[in-house]
Amino acid sequence: MTLNQVYNGSSIQQVMELLKEYKEDAKIIAGGTDIVVAMREGKLAPKVLIDISKIEDLSEIKVERDSIEIGAGVTYTQLVENGAFGKNLKGLIKACSMVGSPQIRNKGTIGGNIANAAPAADSIPPLIALGARLKIGSTRGYREVLLEDYFQKLKDHGLRNDELLISIGFMKAKDKEILSFSKLGLRKALAISRATISMLIGIDNGIIHNIVVASGSIGKFPMREIEVEKSLLGRSIDEDILDLAVDSLQESMDKRLEGRSTLPYKRRAIVSLLEEALRESNIYRSEVKL
Amino acid sequence: MMEIQLIINDINYKVDIDVNMRLIDLLRDKLGLTGTKEGCGEGECGACTIIMDGESVNSCLVMAFQANGSNIITIEGLENNGELDPIQRAYMEEGSVQCGFCIPGLIISTKALLDKHPNPTREEIREGMSGNLCRCTGYNKAIDAAQKAIEYLKEGQNDFKNSW
Amino acid sequence: MTLKTVGKSIIRVDAYSKVTGKALYPQDIYLDDMLYAKTLRSKVPHANIKIDTREAERQEGVVRIFTHKDVPLNEHGVVLKDHNVFAADKVRQIGAPIAFVVGESEEACINGMNKIKVEYEELPGVFDPLEAMKEGSPKVHGQSNIIYHYKLRCGDIEEGFKNCVAIAENTYTTHMQDHAFLQPEAGISYMEEDGTLVVAVATQYPHYDREEIARTLKLEEEKVKVINTNVGGAFGAREDITIQIHLALAALTLNRPVKVVFGREESFQAHSKRHPMVMKYKTGADKDGYLQAMEAEIVGDSGAYCSWAMNVLRKAGVHATGPYHIPNVKVDSYAVYTNNPFTGAMRGFGATQIPNAAEQQMDILAEKLGISPFEIRQKNIFKTGSKTATGQVLLESVPLDRCLEELVKRYDEFLKLKNVVDETIEEGVL
Repeated sequence: MTLNQVYNGSSIQQVMELLKEYKEDAKIIAGGTDIVVAMREGKLAPKVLIDISKIEDLSEIKVERDSIEIGAGVTYTQLVENGAFGKNLKGLIKACSMVGSPQIRNKGTIGGNIANAAPAADSIPPLIALGARLKIGSTRGYREVLLEDYFQKLKDHGLRNDELLISIGFMKAKDKEILSFSKLGLRKALAISRATISMLIGIDNGIIHNIVVASGSIGKFPMREIEVEKSLLGRSIDEDILDLAVDSLQESMDKRLEGRSTLPYKRRAIVSLLEEALRESNIYRSEVKL
Repeated sequence: MMEIQLIINDINYKVDIDVNMRLIDLLRDKLGLTGTKEGCGEGECGACTIIMDGESVNSCLVMAFQANGSNIITIEGLENNGELDPIQRAYMEEGSVQCGFCIPGLIISTKALLDKHPNPTREEIREGMSGNLCRCTGYNKAIDAAQKAIEYLKEGQNDFKNSW
Repeated sequence: MTLKTVGKSIIRVDAYSKVTGKALYPQDIYLDDMLYAKTLRSKVPHANIKIDTREAERQEGVVRIFTHKDVPLNEHGVVLKDHNVFAADKVRQIGAPIAFVVGESEEACINGMNKIKVEYEELPGVFDPLEAMKEGSPKVHGQSNIIYHYKLRCGDIEEGFKNCVAIAENTYTTHMQDHAFLQPEAGISYMEEDGTLVVAVATQYPHYDREEIARTLKLEEEKVKVINTNVGGAFGAREDITIQIHLALAALTLNRPVKVVFGREESFQAHSKRHPMVMKYKTGADKDGYLQAMEAEIVGDSGAYCSWAMNVLRKAGVHATGPYHIPNVKVDSYAVYTNNPFTGAMRGFGATQIPNAAEQQMDILAEKLGISPFEIRQKNIFKTGSKTATGQVLLESVPLDRCLEELVKRYDEFLKLKNVVDETIEEGVL
């Protein structure tokens, strides 16, 4: 290992200054659930490690009247155990409660999933569906980027070597909106997702009046499924919305995954995933004010 | 090298560590606490599970320097003056132990679960242990042990003298 | 008579040490002045090799690098001595040990290992056991890849099939499997003051290990002591030698304790697997549902080494009929070398793969005859007094009929449950 210097980060400012000093030689470590393995396998060889797991400002969930801001160092367990998330945000809680195992959730952070751009990160699709924005800081200043854009154009929007992911913020789902999540893994615990879908659906008088759909592991990176949104927008929930959603997602996948060996399998798998997500939207609907 | 301070099983430690050491290396190689096992080195098997600041974690995925200032419980910390923890007692009595390599991790996961949720359902116990692999006994007997431990803890029984 | 122990739950003698974390597995043993070691393994399945350790030996902290040149008798194996302690001029599978780097720290060993130059002149490999049986296939050892052929002949199958109204003819395959015991291989070796060489490992065969160490290093067996520590699961995968001879050689040569600990990946590379099998079956029954004849050809992939291949494929052949009486039987089972990871003992030892074929044959025959899967089994199952195809008369305790009766009773219950599960799957809930 080339590692020769480590820091127990004590404040956001201090970490940003260390990043300015060491730049590409330094790596941030929080939960360590990915980076420790990567270092041991020789896939990453930082000279400097900066631990941010004990910085309080990064470990807070700030709940305002209309919005929520999750610190980049918040663990999955912290998020799952936080009572502040309304019932209509269950999809996010569900996604986070399905990550890895209890031990992984106790250490792994929402920020870590984003910062290392894990393609199969469970927490990302629900956050994309919520329109989450990332707050990124460096000694040069702060910037914000839409999570959806971050993955779409990682080269333009991704973290620079002197930047620290500080928080993930989003507007609370409205009363008539429901966030759902469905995941296909090879087993229940410790399974890397084969495909995930999250939907934020608003229903008014039985009509889908707004919808955001995001997927994980169905493309190269977690992304919005605009065609599925279009196919369902304005429809009545009494229509065959599942068929519409399946047809449009399969059409998108056929283009996106053309020639991939996983396509026939994933094509079939998304039927159940979409069904689960839509069904959950209905189950959850009964628990929120309509 | 750097010096860190931490509490392990209620004992204060001030130790010099290599910067590239993991917490499991510190526990085993440096401090001789070999009850914590390494089965996979990537957080899949849970044999290295310890409690760090109240939460179960895989000590193979934590760098030693990250434990600076932490409070840690390992399997060695459960027995108190020859008295076994009710969880250890239950694992023995329920026949949950065969080769034993997964047992320290499983017991620690059980403890972490029961410390937080003293009265879990069987399904919740299953979920609480889902980060630990066992290849000999399987999981039903470990879950039986957890359920028995819950009863012992309710009864306040803690008088299982070590006679082995 | 009152029984003190039988029928009562007793606590295992080793349970206390295991629930407290005090039980010592080899990786838990640390000795003063101890050296560490790492094993360099083949990266390719089949190649001629040349090794150059000169630069590696000069690395800081590297104490010694052992290769085939250091081993007096470079061969071992539980049945055939076809394993090398270290590959000499040829590697036959990915993961075959080439060199053992001993150093003052694990890091020094890794640095040294990375500096060993291995020139691989790759050879065509053979990875399909059926291909490997053919004459023109690449050969793993010697002139033929067929290690073993077991023949079972009973009655006359041609006559037998003449009496059949239903015949099932199918080929079944099973895959390779790893035991994945939880404690990766580890061990420590040292010299006692009187010159006794000690190797502490988790093993299934301390006596075989001792024999192999003494034989390969040309020592008297009395001068070798193998200590079996706590064993973190085995399931057959600790029957073959992995680190034992390497550790013995290092401690003997250097007169210092030497420790080696595998990670999970190296553990997968180093020990045996379950034999994948190709099972070609032809089974026939008469109009009353009685089995009349069976012909089977079973090919087991032994990988690059024999290990227990003969015993495993013999067992597969002996069990080929399943627990059913068949008057006319012809079985040929083969163990075959390939350049795949070597296979050996694993729970069931060849008897585990067989039911995949034999039992599906029964279901298919029942369907052809229009009778239930129970009926065909009830008619043919071994009972007290039955004679197996190998000629054994079963005289005692053959309670299979009782087992079937229990199953029949619970079958309706099972069907109800199965319908619920099927519907749930259909609904996409599971």
